[in-house]
Amino acid sequence: MLPTTGTPTGTPAASARGLTKTYRSGDAEVHALDDVDLDVPTARFTAVMGPSGSGKSTLMHCLAGLDRPTAGSVTVDGVALQELPDDDLTRFRRDRLGFVFQAFNLLPMLTAEQNIVLPFELAGRRLDAATKSRLAEVVDVLGLGDRLGHRPSELSGGQQQRVAIARALVVDAAIVFADEPTGNLDSTTSAEVLSYLRRSVRELGHTVVMVTHELDAAAYADDVVVLNDGRVRAHLTDPSNDELVATLGVAR
Amino acid sequence: MRTVIRGSLRTHTRRYVAAVLAVTIAVGFVVVTNAVASSARNGLSAAVAEAYAGADLVVTSDSGIDQPDVETVTATAERLGDDAAVVGTTWTAATHEGRSWGDRVPMASVAVDATLRRQEVTSGRAPSTPDEALVTTSRAQASGVEIGDRLSVGAPGETRDVTVVGIADNVRYLDGDVLLPWDTIRSIGGFAESATYAVRGGGGDAAVSARADALREATGLDVMPRAEFVEQRVVSANQGVDIIGYLLLLFAAVAGFVSVLVIANTFTILFAQRAGDFALLRCVGATRRQVVRSVRVEAFMLALLSSTLGIVGGAAAGYGLVAVGRATLGDLAGEVELSPVWLGAAFVGGLVVTTVAAWWPTRAVVRVSPLEALRPVEADAEGSRAGLVRTGLGVLTVAAGGALLAAAVSLESLPVLLAGGMVSFVGVLLLGPVIVPAALRAIGAVVGRFGPASRIAAGNAVRHPKRSAATAASLLVGVTLTTAIVTGLASAEAVLDDELGAEYPVDVAVTGTAGVSDGTVEAVDAVADVDRAVGVEGVVGRLHDGDEIAVLAPVPSQREVAGDPEILQAADGEVLVGPTVASGFLDGLPEQAQLTVGDRSVEVTVRSVPSRIGDAVVVSPATLASLGGTPQTLALWADARPGVDGDDLGGAVGAAIQDDGLTTVNAVQETAWVDGQFGVLRWSVIGLLGVAVVIALGGIANTVGLSVLERRREHALLRALGLTRRQLRRVLAAEGLLLALVAALLGTGIGVLYGWLGLATVIAPTLPSAGLVVPWGQLTTIVVVAAVAGLAACVIPARRAALVAPAQGLTLD
Repeated sequence: MLPTTGTPTGTPAASARGLTKTYRSGDAEVHALDDVDLDVPTARFTAVMGPSGSGKSTLMHCLAGLDRPTAGSVTVDGVALQELPDDDLTRFRRDRLGFVFQAFNLLPMLTAEQNIVLPFELAGRRLDAATKSRLAEVVDVLGLGDRLGHRPSELSGGQQQRVAIARALVVDAAIVFADEPTGNLDSTTSAEVLSYLRRSVRELGHTVVMVTHELDAAAYADDVVVLNDGRVRAHLTDPSNDELVATLGVAR
Repeated sequence: MRTVIRGSLRTHTRRYVAAVLAVTIAVGFVVVTNAVASSARNGLSAAVAEAYAGADLVVTSDSGIDQPDVETVTATAERLGDDAAVVGTTWTAATHEGRSWGDRVPMASVAVDATLRRQEVTSGRAPSTPDEALVTTSRAQASGVEIGDRLSVGAPGETRDVTVVGIADNVRYLDGDVLLPWDTIRSIGGFAESATYAVRGGGGDAAVSARADALREATGLDVMPRAEFVEQRVVSANQGVDIIGYLLLLFAAVAGFVSVLVIANTFTILFAQRAGDFALLRCVGATRRQVVRSVRVEAFMLALLSSTLGIVGGAAAGYGLVAVGRATLGDLAGEVELSPVWLGAAFVGGLVVTTVAAWWPTRAVVRVSPLEALRPVEADAEGSRAGLVRTGLGVLTVAAGGALLAAAVSLESLPVLLAGGMVSFVGVLLLGPVIVPAALRAIGAVVGRFGPASRIAAGNAVRHPKRSAATAASLLVGVTLTTAIVTGLASAEAVLDDELGAEYPVDVAVTGTAGVSDGTVEAVDAVADVDRAVGVEGVVGRLHDGDEIAVLAPVPSQREVAGDPEILQAADGEVLVGPTVASGFLDGLPEQAQLTVGDRSVEVTVRSVPSRIGDAVVVSPATLASLGGTPQTLALWADARPGVDGDDLGGAVGAAIQDDGLTTVNAVQETAWVDGQFGVLRWSVIGLLGVAVVIALGGIANTVGLSVLERRREHALLRALGLTRRQLRRVLAAEGLLLALVAALLGTGIGVLYGWLGLATVIAPTLPSAGLVVPWGQLTTIVVVAAVAGLAACVIPARRAALVAPAQGLTLD
């Protein structure tokens, strides 16, 4: 069965301590992240905001084990990522994390359903009864029932993002990372995708971390982390719209 | 536009590696061919010159010279105080201290006079009388000959006994194991190739030309100075070398064709990837013509680079190969002399191949509209499928080729067969985008059972039908040709084996009318190389008043020594006569003949058989009984162990023989050259087509490598979703393996078909017993080698792809 409600507990779903990421290009050093400390609360919808170049994508990549930080530690679901060798890290992503990217979420040669169960395929696992019923439920919630046999090129942008969300939810991810999930969508479809993400938190008890630069998108989140120049400028809990605008104005 | 061309060449150099490599190899191949052929030619020239060392003049004709002419030349030399010698050879029997060296030992003349002697005596002295002989170093070592040993040379009836007085180095032209004065060579059936003549007492050119006129008048033959004669000989011998050179060019053409496929495919993929760049150029104001010109200039620069590399690399490889050849073969390989014509042709050929191959893909650039720059990059666009026109054309071409092939078989015409083969193969290549993906899917379904990596690979391989087809096509060419030739050779070899089996029913036959002792049979049976030796009983008799021969009556257990016991089975009242005895009947074999033993004669039916078993005929035991006389062991038949060396076997059997007056037929030794020829032919073909296969494998590495670049985001996504590095490497390796496997399987299938058609057209009309022999072992090796090579070709692109961190791939635009 699915976890029903997520109660914010003392243990965060993910936490970063002293997280630093430095890129070198030629002689120049770029500090994408500069000594970031952050706790992502469980069963909450957290938005990471900031202007472009603020390091929000880098933060997400490090939290999700897609990239290795230059310094500092990341703990997700009780596992210290920096200590894992690449293969274990890969398996951890496969079994415990879900991803929704801005574009190119799906493999073009697979159908929607094959894309959704891809993590199981990669793990070489058969779909057990519990997974199948979760798949049916998620497909139902996301309204993808009549689209399962289609390939990505036959789906609209919103449908593609919903398939990506379904993939993240079916694996029962500890955290779903969404990187500008509405960046390529029109406002109506954006609203639809964001409300699905919020429903997965409210109704299914998932933890979602979403990187975005759109204020409208951040408005769907419970908490908002504001980044600028690789540092956390604010971590707001249940902010009001005015509060958000004010903080962002300062940050900018 | 120049900045654009230069910039794009700089940026994309690495992506052109496979194309450059393909042209470089093909051009280099031609240069290496020229280097090796020129070395062989110069080596031959030096060897011929050496053979006539010391001669001022050479007397010869196209058919050698007769003994009266030899005597005229010798008499002239004696009269004028000059020297003359004969260059002659023969192949005949030789026995050393009672051991036979076989029936066809090469022997050559050695000049008694030191000026005209071409061999260098390393120990002992040169012969001075007709009863003295030299033995070459190699033969002396192999057979343990020492100075003072006695040799019997010549076929039975004309045997001469000579004494070994010295050991001489081998020479490289008209050499023999045993070197004898001309008179001795002549008495055992020698052939005089020419007479050499040295002028004594000076007199310079005038004296030489006076002697030439005198000799010409006396003999009516060609008389020319040594240099002129050597040149003439080298030219006629070179026609053989030149033919080989032109045959090698055929293989170069195959390599060139495969290069065209690889280059065209590379350009197609590259231009597809760069469609955005071209669109942007069009957006900022470049005309269509300018864009197309820029990519064509780019292709031409590439052609210049790879042709130059090919010339330089080929020359280096040619000199290297010849250096290795000289180290192992000695002076047989001469100096390398690269011909400017060949180099020029190779260079221009490389340019043409590259430019032609790039022409079609560049046309695609024209179709890019400026708008495409504004669209987001669709990296995952579905690859183009085969058009209806192309498929239709392919079907028609295959049908036309098939009709030609069928016509070739019924007309027994090789040119029609070749035309049909080419046309139908072009048809297969046209149908590639239909056939290859279907085959990929079928094999992918099997391979896909081995886990998610293989399943993803199987899916990837069929995403771009045209691309996969073009990649597989390049390997298909080499595999098909190799298979066709290997199959044809195996079938021809099988036919020849049957013929040889009939001609040489037993591996070793030792025969003599004086009888074979039990001790000899036991000793030969004990020889390690001999599996089994049996004595065969018979009586001494005459057939149709001929010489005394052995009349053998082998019983079934003795006939089993022959591979096929029915070959030497005579019916009652019948006599089997092989070519050795038959050659004694100058008017041909009679149908009926009298077989006489002592004073009793029996009328028998003569059956001619191809079997070479020495001076013996075969009758049934009942016929033998009707002849009377006391049967005794007159022959020894032995079965050799498989794979033994003919010379070793001959030596060991010769040493085991304890009786005098026996002649030996050593089938293993005499048929060794046939096996050798097939081996050499097979390995040459495989080696030469290997060049085309290497180019094709470069093409596979290239296709997978370029696909890796295209799919970086896809791979990043897969890695994010939980595909381990090892799995990703496996995905790419499996894709290369699948492409190679499909090409190899299709190629062997088509190749066997071509091989069979070739057999039906070329060999079956003369040898109706010829059947298709599929060399399963060799074909399996071809498929496995191609598959492993395809796998290996993907190691580098796969490693590079797996090293990229997922975040890096995702942030690409």
